[in-house]
Order: sequence, then structure tokens, then C-alpha cells
Amino acid sequence: MAVADQTPDAVDLEVRWSRVAAITDEAATTLLRAAFSTIIRESNDYTVVLMDPAGRTVAESRAGIPAFAALIGTLTARLLEVHPAETWHEGDVVITNDPWIATGHLPDIAMISPVFYGGALVAFAGSAAHVPDIGGTATLGATDLMAEGLFIPPIHLYRDGARNEGVVALLRANVRLPVQVWGDLEAQMAAHEVCRRRAVELLDDICEPDFGPLSNALHAMSDRSTRTAIAAIPDGVYRSSLDADGVEGRPTHIECAITVEGEHIEIDYAGSSPQVGFATNCTLNYTTAYSVYPLKLLLDPGSRTNHGSYRSITVKAPEGSILNPVFPAPVLARHLTGHLLSCAIYRALADVLPDRVLADSGGAPAMRVQFAGRDKSGAPFAAILFASAGMGACAGHDGRSTTAFPTNSGSGSIEALESTAPLLFRRKEFRTDSGGAGTRRGGLGQDIEIVNPGDTPLRVALLGDRSSHPALGIVGGLPGAPAHAEYDDGTVPALKSLSTLEPGSAITISFAGGGGYGPPSGRDRTAIAEDLRAGLITGAAAIRDYGTEAVTAARCSTENEDPEGRD
Amino acid sequence: MTETIATCTIGVDVGGTFTDLVLHDAARATTRTGKLLTTPQDPSRAIIDGIRRLLDEAGVPIERVAAIVHGTTLITNTVLERTGAKVGLITTEGFRDILEMGRETRHDTDDLYARPAPVIVPRHLRIGVPERICADGTELVPLDESAVLKAAHELVEEHGVEAFAISFLHSYADPSHERFAYELIRFAYPNMPISLSSDVAPEIGEYERTNTACVNAYVQPVVSAYLDRLEERLHGLGFAGTLTLMLSSGGLTTLEHAKAFPVKLLESGPAAGAIAAAHLAELAGEDQVIAFDMGGTTAKMSVVERGLPHIKHEFEAGRLDRFKPGSGLPLKLAVVDMIEIGAGGGSIASRDEFGLLKVGPRSAGSEPGPVAYGRGGTSPTVTDADLLTGHLDPDNFLGGELTLGLPKVREAFERLAESLGLDAERTASGALEIVTENMAAATRVHLSEKGRDPRAYALMAFGGAGPVHAYTLAKSLKMSRLIVPMGAGVLSAYGFLVADPAVEDVRGYATPLGDADWAKVGELYREMESHATSLLSGAASAGTEIARSRSVDMRYLGQGFEITVPMPGGRLSAASAGRLSEELRHRFTREYAAVFGRALPEGTPEVTNWRLTSTVPKAVPSLTDASHEQGGDSDDNDRGAWRGKRSVLISGFGIREADVYDRRALAPGSSLRGPAVFEEHETSCAIGPDAVAFVDAHRNLVIDIDYATRIDQGVNS
Repeated sequence: MAVADQTPDAVDLEVRWSRVAAITDEAATTLLRAAFSTIIRESNDYTVVLMDPAGRTVAESRAGIPAFAALIGTLTARLLEVHPAETWHEGDVVITNDPWIATGHLPDIAMISPVFYGGALVAFAGSAAHVPDIGGTATLGATDLMAEGLFIPPIHLYRDGARNEGVVALLRANVRLPVQVWGDLEAQMAAHEVCRRRAVELLDDICEPDFGPLSNALHAMSDRSTRTAIAAIPDGVYRSSLDADGVEGRPTHIECAITVEGEHIEIDYAGSSPQVGFATNCTLNYTTAYSVYPLKLLLDPGSRTNHGSYRSITVKAPEGSILNPVFPAPVLARHLTGHLLSCAIYRALADVLPDRVLADSGGAPAMRVQFAGRDKSGAPFAAILFASAGMGACAGHDGRSTTAFPTNSGSGSIEALESTAPLLFRRKEFRTDSGGAGTRRGGLGQDIEIVNPGDTPLRVALLGDRSSHPALGIVGGLPGAPAHAEYDDGTVPALKSLSTLEPGSAITISFAGGGGYGPPSGRDRTAIAEDLRAGLITGAAAIRDYGTEAVTAARCSTENEDPEGRD
Repeated sequence: MTETIATCTIGVDVGGTFTDLVLHDAARATTRTGKLLTTPQDPSRAIIDGIRRLLDEAGVPIERVAAIVHGTTLITNTVLERTGAKVGLITTEGFRDILEMGRETRHDTDDLYARPAPVIVPRHLRIGVPERICADGTELVPLDESAVLKAAHELVEEHGVEAFAISFLHSYADPSHERFAYELIRFAYPNMPISLSSDVAPEIGEYERTNTACVNAYVQPVVSAYLDRLEERLHGLGFAGTLTLMLSSGGLTTLEHAKAFPVKLLESGPAAGAIAAAHLAELAGEDQVIAFDMGGTTAKMSVVERGLPHIKHEFEAGRLDRFKPGSGLPLKLAVVDMIEIGAGGGSIASRDEFGLLKVGPRSAGSEPGPVAYGRGGTSPTVTDADLLTGHLDPDNFLGGELTLGLPKVREAFERLAESLGLDAERTASGALEIVTENMAAATRVHLSEKGRDPRAYALMAFGGAGPVHAYTLAKSLKMSRLIVPMGAGVLSAYGFLVADPAVEDVRGYATPLGDADWAKVGELYREMESHATSLLSGAASAGTEIARSRSVDMRYLGQGFEITVPMPGGRLSAASAGRLSEELRHRFTREYAAVFGRALPEGTPEVTNWRLTSTVPKAVPSLTDASHEQGGDSDDNDRGAWRGKRSVLISGFGIREADVYDRRALAPGSSLRGPAVFEEHETSCAIGPDAVAFVDAHRNLVIDIDYATRIDQGVNS
């Protein structure tokens, strides 16, 4: 065991790094466990961090998406500008859901609390979690932020250990599920308590008065790791642009310029669409999180992240654009824009990192479908259909079929959903021919057919994109199939719409396929043969995309052998 | 019947590398252990050789063996190595891709290129047929018989499948379509094994249930053939007793049941260790124990309360990356709830990209093994660090059977140390600090998930490396009691001797608690009870009663996860409904609050699964009293136990001169203060000056750590 006055060595640093990382993982477990949590689990939008007194993250929970954690650090730094370190007291808890300084929409509540050791402020615990309701209009008709729910500027929930009853009363009076929302805030506080207790224990064990030297050492290592990865990319400006459905009459356009200069990367979205009067606006914070995450995946995936990991990455977007809207723009469905950024970044870097990038994913952005109405007993119900589109292909692999990216929300059980909601599934199957052709094929989307088995109409709220803008291929790969929805009478609802499913009628929702990688002519014959045999592509599509000759050769190759298994 | 009274039981654990055997003779109150290399081509060979050898050594004729209890990794390996049968899946039309879609998530969000575990039944062998049962068990579309026969024909004649799995939507609510399809196929292909999802895992959740049925079908031909061969060879040896198998949940089952549901045996090996620990915890009077089993490659932790290991009902088989949850195939299965991390004696110490010291999860395994073994290993491991820091005696490892090569170990650490800017000793002590921290962190999170605090538990350490690292681990978790059972290095095998015959059964019936149809629940339990009675009839014939315990999976309506709550006993009828319902509501609320911090007053409790565990408690051999025939005779006092002194690095105290004791020579009632090292054949355990070891009546070392002892008082550097 190290003695106090010695500089930490390669063992001490590893043990201490493991311990701070374990603190946020244990705290995140506590949050998940203590929360009412279906929404927290399903949306995967939560994080817990431990920060130094300047608001720089030292450890970030591995749950949720990694870059989300960094936002809590920038939030704390901004709070410190208004409330300097010396104004924080033991027992303080500050909350906010300001989309511009926290995690991008009102249902995400961020919480910050100080950690004191020996009478001194030594750290901050921070977290963000998606609460089940925040008031406002439940539909997406809001044209400004105020209509989207209760706005909470940074405010003391606790001051010196005393609860601010006025805030609690105001909060509870403005949400539909007050007990659950308060319960989730309590879960966040329980997670903060784990952070506090374990941080103090750690300082006791390592005989240090504060985290100063450790924090600096960890930031330096992570910073170096990111810089080394960036330095390996040739300098230059790499550009891409892409389009998405956006809203009626206002398609979304993204311009992305990535400047690599030595050990630094700047991502600039100048030229992207102006902000809209619809919930698809994406604050710069969220823009940053969903830019840094896909970039980190290419650079140095797997290494433990902290403030240092992001120092050499800058993200910019012009004020007033859809990626940096001005208050009080509506932002509830920010993911419909933010998820697109992974595609923009990979397209931009395709020339310089062709072996690492991914083609567009059908699930960027994710599509959600909500069914609401009355069940057999006449009680109101609402159920969300979670299901995934196909991922884009990359140099090494075909895209994964029906897999969430860049989120990780996945899907639930049909049996469980049918047990609680008056819905009947008739089909949930891979969508043939939906994966974009290429040397590596894009992942397949899926077809889901749902019947209204009851006596009363159901309301169907579709919230998606990629209706007229499929996931594009990369490095010569072809696009996947676009998303689509259709009633059994032939009516085609828009993918951002409210419509009605009559008793006995059915709706088929087709999730988009992922884009292909590399020219189709480069596809391995046995891979074509296996796709044909598995029925993932039809003969007609195979001939169209890969040519008669390749398909004939593929068919011959299977006559003599019996290739088992895939991959 | 022979004249001989059969009083012996043999436990056989076939692991990846070794086949462990243990023979218990109740008449003579002795146990004897044996170990030989596993014969992977035909594991029954090593078993027969091992039994023969053990009986010879003990001078016991085979006629005196009443029972052989067996656990095997054969099933795990078959799934892992994908060497099972070609399976055809017949499922509900429109849903044949459920098996491959899985949960539609990425198990590693840091890895853009992570792949899912390959599906057990490829798409061209999955065929949907028209049929549909609704969530409430009513029939919407009748089963299309000709479609079933056509599908079976195609799968057999065109694709040559060797086993069938049948899984229809909501079959847990009404299995009649699956049963009907079973009859149709059995008539057409009488010799083909068929697994029904409603038999294997009658629970809600189509993906996991279908997966479980497919994996069962996948391993069935392999396991059946193996068990038939084993039975035949045992008969050839003259064995006339009963052969039973250990389930993943730690219960024992019959040969017939094992052949029908081999998937339930997946985790039989690890379960045995937890069962042994649970048994010893009960004997030692410890209500709350964390069982800590550290071997060559991994460390496993499980929570034992009131003599029972925690059971969970979901398990992942065949992980692509052993230590990454989500990289395998999720199954509905009752297994001992255990975490496994890549920390064992063979875990390799190395330098990472930041220039820091890392330990594991890469392991030198048993080949080439640690540098110290002198079998060609060059990367320093945890065992090597144990040696360099004095925790292991180079001249007395495995009772002196293997002399450890200290100079080579030092060289290996010097090489690594140089790249880290350290010296060899610091690198070795650092490797121990790091491996301990890795285990402590995993344990903290595991207990945190259960809403439990490690400080309220005693640590029971076993496995070859468990006792060596137990004192340091207990201290990182601030646990004050540590128990090292006798024979800790081969403890798992004892689990086979103390386990009870058991049947774990379940019926899926999702209903809000307030709306439960108790007549139906009564029917479900009667069905499960008669099923268990028929399976356990052999075991229970000796006059012992079948013990039954009911439990239910509950959640608040709308939640996606359940907790298991014990259900009150007594008659299930409409008359008792009110009382039962109230009591369940109360228990659920209490358990929910214990695990999640608080209950949700306006939530609606819902029951999803109804479970029944039936066991036949048997007279358990008192192993710890039995003399270990391989060991020396015990001395009446501790003088014979003292082997001298040795320098040992003790976490928090630096290098100390510690008394070294021969563990087996310590008499019950002895009390010894650290610094001390307790050595036995397969392992050793060092404690610091802040700890006192007491030898209890069962010859366990019960070590109490006093946190008031000031650390600086002992610093020696």
C-alpha cells in the first residue's frame, strides 16, 4: 500500500482509477434499482458522474451513452460560474432540466450535489435521468418549449440538508405522475449518496486530502489517449452532408465539416437547417453528445472516459440552426435530428477511415409508435412499441439486422405487450430485401403487423423519419429500404402523424434497413448464396443488385456443399 | 440384493480440465477425493477410471456404493463450441425470426463492430405454421396439422435435422398446440427428439423461451448418448445404485429427467460449489454468507442466506466473451445466482496502453499456466505474485508435489516491472491489489443490485486461489468475518454429496394480483405437484416427505422486470383467495422496498410466473467430521501444526514475519492471532495482525478481522 507522501505509481493509479470507475458504476446500479425505472431502463438516457470541484468528470458510469456523461460536467462548470465553489454547502442538491445546459429536453432532470471531506469541497456528484412525465402536451404538437412541460432552471432542491418544500410542491403539482417523478428524483439522490460515501472512503484509504492530483493524472491519461488516436488521422477538412424527412415542408439538412489538425478535431455543422417550430430541434449539448459518441467509437473505444477524453474535440453549430436552436424552441423529439449525426460523421470520415466507418443505420433516428385507447374494461391505456431497424454495414461485417444504433433501447416481448395492452401482433419478421446491397450488406429492418382486436378505435402516433430518405450506403454501398407504414385498406400514414386503427383493422409498420458498404460487385458469392438460402434477399433483388452472373455462380456454389451457420 | 449394505456415495464433477471425484463412506465416516484429467472425447472414460481407482484406494467394493451424483460441463461446452445437433424449429407463422432478433440491443456500446452470439437454429431451419393462442390462453387460429407435417418433412428430408424444437406464442398460457404438434411429429418421426417450449420453460417471454427450447434440442442427442454410455459402463463396473445428476439450481434429478431436459444441467458444476458453501454456512451457524470461489481462470461470488444460495431464473449460455453480459444466449432457467469475473490464479499481469498495471481477464489457464509451474509460461500471473509475496511456499505447493520456480518468477516480474518503472516486488504486490480491487468492485455491484450491504455478510472462501486472496478481499469490502472451510481447494465436489433431489417447476400466468383466478392457480399448483411427485417418487420412497415451497414472480403492472417472492403455504382455493392475495401483496411490498428502497403505493402488483420447488431432504453426511484420508492425522494440540515462520506481504501492514501452520494439524478450539499463514494441500490463507483465526468444531477456520486495530501500528516499511 502506498504511503501518503509518495507520488502514485502505475499500481496506485490503476487501483484508484478502478475504484473511482467502480463508484459511478455502483451509483448507476443504485439509480436503476431505486428508480420506478421502466422509462429509465428503456430509454437508456441516464448517467452518473463523479467530478472534481471544477466540474471536470473524473469517472463516468458506463451505462447510458458515454458522451451523455460529459454534459453533466459542462453543466456543473456553468453552474459554478453563477454559484462559485465557496457558495456550496454540505447537504445542497441542485436540479435543472434546462435543455440548453442539461441533456436536451425537459423530461431529463439533471442533479448536482457537492461532496465535502474534512470541511472542504472535494468533488461533485452529478446525474441525469429521464422521468416518466414532466407535464405539458403529451403529443408532439408543441410549437415552443413552454408547451412541452415544466421548465426547471437550476434551483436548490435541498439547501444545507433541508428540503425546499416550495420546489417540491411546485414540481408535484405540474406533472401527471407526481409520486413516480418524485421517486425517480429520490433514486438520483440515493445514487449521489453512494458517490459521496464511496468518494470519502477512497480519500480515507489513499490518505489524500482531495482528488486534485488523481483527477489531474487521470485527465492527462485520457487526454493523451484521445490525442494519440486523433494524431493518427491525416490532417485535413472532411465534409459530408445529408438530408432527412424532417417535418412537413421543412426537410432536415445537415452539413458537417470535420477538421483534423494535429491532435485536435473540430466538428462544425455550419450550413445545417435553421431551427423549426417543431420538437425536432436539438440543443448544442445534445448535438455535442451525439457527435462525440460516434467519434469516440472510431477513435479509442473501450477506454475509461473522463473530462480528459473530450478536451481535444470541439463541436460547433450556428446559433438558430436545428442543431443549436435558440430558446424557447421546442426540443422534445431531439433524437430525430441528433441521431442523424452519427451518419454525417461517418460519411465525412469515410475517405480517410474507410476501414472503420459504418454506413447509415436505419435506426438513426429511431422510430417509435405509440398506441392509445381503451381496453376491454374501458380503462385508458397507452403502449409504446419499441423495435429496431437495421444497422449499417462496415468493412468487416454485414450490418446487424434489427439492432438499435446509436441508441440501445432494443425491443420488448410481444407476449408481455399483448398481456397488458389490447393489441394483437400478426407478424414480426425480418424485412426481405431491406438491407442495402454492397460488398457488405446492410442489416435488415423488420415488418410488424398489428391488429386492433377490440371494439373501439385505437389512436396510433407514429414518430420516425427515413420515409423518403433511406439509410445510405457508404464507400459504394447501396441504400437500405426506407421506413414505411400502411393500413390494411391501403392508407399510408406519414411517419410523423396521428391516425386511427379501427377495430378489426391492421397496420403494418416497416422499419428501415441499414446501408451497404462497398460496391455490390465486391460481394462474396457464398455470402450472396447464404442470403438467398436464408431468404434475406429475393432472387430478383439479388440479380438486380449483384448481377445475373454473380447470382448464378452463387447458386452453383451451394449445390455441392451445405454451409452451416453464418458469419 | 447383495448382503452388503450400501453406505457410500460418490460425487463426480467433470470440468474442462479435471474430473474431480469424492467418495463418502457413511459407515466409516470417511471421505476420500481424487482428481484426474478429463477425457473430452468420451468423458465417461475418466469417470470410470477415477471411480475404479478411488474404490481401490479406499478398499471399498462397488456393491457398497448406493449412489453416484454427477455434474458435467459437457452441456456448456457443447453450446460454447457449437458442437450440438442440427435443430429444426417449428414456430408460429409470422414469428420465425424472433429467435434471431433477440432483444435488438448491442451488448457492448463501446464496440461498433460487436457481433451477437450466432443463433442456434439458422433461418432456413425455422419454419412458421398457422396457429395462434392469445395472451389469455384462448385459441384464435387452430393449429394447421398439414402445415406441421409438411414443415417436419421438409426439415428432416431436405435438411437432415437431428432434433426438433417447437415454440408457439403464448404456449405458457395454453400448451395444447405445442402438444398436438408434438404428437403429429412423433407419429411421423418416432425416434426424433422433440423439445417443447411449454415443457422446457413455460414462462412468458417468447424469445428466451424459444431459445431455451432450441438449446435443449441442440444438446439433447449429445447428452442422451453420453448418459446412456455412462450408465452402461457403470453397470459394467457392477454398480447397482442410483445415478443422479445435478441441476443448475443445485438440486438433484433423475437420469430420465436429465435426458429430457439437458439444458437444466448447464451450470451443474458451479452450482455444486455454492451448494457446498451453503451447507457449510448452515453448519457454521452463519445466516448470511458470500460464497467466494476463486480458481485458475475466474472468481465466482454468490449470496447465500439462511443456508440457501440465491437462485435466479435467467441465465446466459455460450457467451462469445465470457465476461461480457449480453454476448451469449439468454435462457429461462433456474440457476444459482452467481457473478463470474476474469480473476483467477492464472490471470495475467500486463501493462496497458496508459502504462498502468492490469490483471486479467486474460489467463494462462492450466497450460502453460503460471511461470512458477515451469511448463513454459512466461507471463507473470496472480499465482506468481502470490509466490513472490510469500503467500505460497515454493517448496510446499500442492503438498510439495509441485516445486515452484521462484527465480523464473522473479525474472518475469522484473521484465514487467521495468516497463512500468517499478521493481519486481512492487509489481507483484500491485498485481494482488489490482486483482482484489477487481473482485471487490464486482461484488459491491452484485450486492448493490440486490439492495444488500457486504458488511452484513461473512465471506466463505474456497477454490485453489480463494483462501489465498480472501483476507485482502474481505478487508476491501469491510467485511469482518472470513470462513475458510476444511478442504477448501476441492470443496465444490462435496456439493454433490450434500445436495437434495429437487424439481424446479414454473407456470406462466400473468394477472394483476387482485384479479387472480385462484381456482386456476390451484389447478396450476396441483399439476406441478403431481409432476414433481412422479419425478421424485424414487428418491422419496425411503419414507422421507417431499418438501414443497411456492414462490411467485411479481412486479408492478407496466414494469419490465420481476422479483421473486415466497408464497404462503396452505390450500389454494377460492375460499383462501382473500387471505393469500393479501399476504402476497404484503410480502411483495416488503421485498420490493428491501430491494428497491421503497414500495410504490399506487402501483398495481402483478404476478407473472408461479413457481414450485419440491425437494426431498436427505440425511446429509457430516463431511467436516469425517477424517480426510488423504490428510495426515490430526494432533491434539497445535504444536505439531506449527511449521515455522516466513516473510509474507500483508495488505496494509507491509512485509511481516508470519507463523506458518499446517492447517490439518490444528485442533478444534484453537485460536491463533495473525500475522499467520494456514497451509493445506491445495491452498493457503494468510491473515494480518488485525485478525484472529478460530478453529471451530467443523474444523473451519473462522477468522475475525478487527477494524479498530490501527494500520499505522503495523507498518513495516
